[in-house]
Amino acid sequence: MIVEGTYPLPGTPVVIWDLLMDPEVLAKAMPGTKLLVRAAADRYEGVMRIGIGPITAAEFELVIALTDVLPPYSYAMQIDGKGRAGFTRGTAKVELVPEGAGSVMHYSADLQVGGKIAAVGQRLLDSVSKLLTRQGLEALNRELNHRLGGAPA
Amino acid sequence: MKPAAFEYHRPASLDEALALLAEHEDAKPLAGGQSLIPAMNFRLAAPAALIDLNGIGALARTGGMDDGGLQLGAMTRHCTLERSPLVAERAPLLAEAMPCIAHPQIRNRGTVGGSLAHADPAAELPAVMVALEATLVLRSASAERRVPAEQFFTGLFATALEPGELLTSIELPPPPARSGFAFQELARRHGDYALVGVAAMLTLNEAGQCSRARVALLSVGDGPVLAVRAAAALAGQPPSASSILAAAELAAREDVDPPSDIHASAAYRRQLVRVLTRRALTRAAGRVRPSSSIPT
Repeated sequence: MIVEGTYPLPGTPVVIWDLLMDPEVLAKAMPGTKLLVRAAADRYEGVMRIGIGPITAAEFELVIALTDVLPPYSYAMQIDGKGRAGFTRGTAKVELVPEGAGSVMHYSADLQVGGKIAAVGQRLLDSVSKLLTRQGLEALNRELNHRLGGAPA
Repeated sequence: MKPAAFEYHRPASLDEALALLAEHEDAKPLAGGQSLIPAMNFRLAAPAALIDLNGIGALARTGGMDDGGLQLGAMTRHCTLERSPLVAERAPLLAEAMPCIAHPQIRNRGTVGGSLAHADPAAELPAVMVALEATLVLRSASAERRVPAEQFFTGLFATALEPGELLTSIELPPPPARSGFAFQELARRHGDYALVGVAAMLTLNEAGQCSRARVALLSVGDGPVLAVRAAAALAGQPPSASSILAAAELAAREDVDPPSDIHASAAYRRQLVRVLTRRALTRAAGRVRPSSSIPT
């Protein structure tokens, strides 16, 4: 499954970079995150709880390892999530491109989803990932705006 | 495959059901069970309690309304609607869509209210209700409200239903004079989830131009998608081959952002929107009757 797109964010890449590395901010960009800690400089661990419509929320243990970190412009992530309802693993890349007084985030992820969720919900994976991505980016944008409140946009 | 343990309630009246629903926070109403029970058996859904609506006869009542429209009780089975002469006369678009829903076994059990409340993006009935401008009647223990179908579907498997609320009936307006309808869908095998489906209603004015078009698409978004640009392009135009072609093109290019899955790519779905919208509108235009045939 491939998820990609662009999203405008307030603040220059330099300003946004530190916030993106903050597990509290990162958690906002991942809907359903119950817990997220920075276990090492390049490693986050956490628990997500995701439920869509009739599906009772299922918990996933999540490990995100950062690679190819080029502050403040780009980084890649190895994502590994597993829970009783299934698993996901893959890579994602995030790039911040300055534009005017702000930045544009280019994101792309190539994720494999397996287990029960993939077996039963295959036809919905694309819609669900689009939904979660949209919710996550909107929440991230709100959080950045909140944290940068008062600072020149 | 067996579900996780759950409490089971079988109320005999709507009031009793609403009281149970208000009382149990993690309860799910059980209608026909054609989506909920498989999800529970896979243990994807694990409600603490089921409130079985099958013992409430009042919820299964379906009949004509004085204005020439129809009232469908939420617990009316698909097979009842499929075979109803009254539905064929007063909501022919609904009648045409019914055989496309899954298989006869599922239609024997599944209900109109269950399908709408479940709000699967690939389901036929949500799109049909949006095309028909249906009104959904929602009841809670303390209040009743009426929601237009277009506002009922709020996202992926998401509806305007609040906790404690139950969809009790659906009201369909009578078909307007000089209107035509068509339902079209394509599935890999008959009965599978459709790759794309279209429910179309077309109303002409006395000069033979489109005064109103409603094109609702399924399986191309988070819920039923109303092709508003296609409909706007048809307004004031005669339903000619060229105006229909232009509208179908707009539907495919601007009204939808379809998902990809193992069954069909987004590009293929877009092409199906183009083709099926053209077919549905052409058929709807060919079926326009000179005036309403509903006896008053």
